[in-house]
Amino acid sequence: MALYSFWIFDRHCNCIFDREWTLKTNPSSGTTNSKLNEDTAKLLYGMVFSLRSISQKLGSKGSFNEIRTIATGKYRAHILCTASGLWFILLSDLGQEDLSQVLRYLYSEIYVKTVVYNWLSPVDFADSPNERRGQGFRKIRNRQFLLAVEKFLGPMVN
Amino acid sequence: MAIQTILVINKSGGLVYQRDFVATAPRLSSNEYLILAGTLQGIVAIASQITPKSLQIAGKGSAKGGVEPAGGAAAPLVPYVGTLGATTASGTPMGSFLGPDYFNDAFASCNGRGLKHVTTDQNSLFLYQTLTGIKFVAVSTQPTTNAMAVAVAENLLRKAYCLYADYVMKNPFYEPEMPIKCELFDQKLGVLVGQL
Repeated sequence: MALYSFWIFDRHCNCIFDREWTLKTNPSSGTTNSKLNEDTAKLLYGMVFSLRSISQKLGSKGSFNEIRTIATGKYRAHILCTASGLWFILLSDLGQEDLSQVLRYLYSEIYVKTVVYNWLSPVDFADSPNERRGQGFRKIRNRQFLLAVEKFLGPMVN
Repeated sequence: MAIQTILVINKSGGLVYQRDFVATAPRLSSNEYLILAGTLQGIVAIASQITPKSLQIAGKGSAKGGVEPAGGAAAPLVPYVGTLGATTASGTPMGSFLGPDYFNDAFASCNGRGLKHVTTDQNSLFLYQTLTGIKFVAVSTQPTTNAMAVAVAENLLRKAYCLYADYVMKNPFYEPEMPIKCELFDQKLGVLVGQL
């Protein structure tokens, strides 16, 4: 089992959290909310966005057809889209066939409890409500959230 | 699992062939299919760009140690799956290829880093890229991430490529890169998918 990175995007196309592990052997390696990952985040967002629009068209009329996983020859991306427009994306190796339960836990038990219920956390991470171009820079820096993510995903990294 | 649609995308991202195999397949306009083909072409390239850093580091390490042969043939082989679509129902061979089937071995995928497989709530989409850049896309009616299903789809699409080589490329009236209108290809592809 190997996890490579974890990303959260909000409904303004901003990456509000990213965590990338660079060494499989060391769960504390890698970067959190790194400036260097901005371009990768945009590419990832673009890929999921276009595949989502394709899947909406391919699905039968009048029903949701949300995207679940994207696989290449090297890695697999698992995607959870919430009703509030958040995207949770986990990149793992090809051996992981379905991490939707993990993503659901990250959303309902970790994100909701440490970010949504937190009075000091902004309701919307974008500067203005009509921001649409992904130029936001605010990230989740909540210590409880970071700790909980590390504690939950750390054992799965290697 | 049934194959809903098969698309062929040429090396510049244009849609050259599209066919539905299931009556319940959603009706998309030809324009929408063209957009879909172009988008997929772009996503294949983007997907290889976001290969995680830990994989990039691991790849470099092995290249230094001389483990990875030149040309980056580190991509795992796709296992060979059964005699899928070897002959038509009447027993006549489907193509000009040797042997009882088109190929009998596991094969290396030419698409080591690009997009291969997408699942959604209702469908899964498989993509097979050839060495010349033509992409064969199959949309199936069930989401699956099973490694076996992916291997079967890859074998099926590779056989569709064999049919393409036999009945499209050898057709003297076919212009390369243009939409495929070959009756024999239609017919044989129908047989191949029907046998699944």
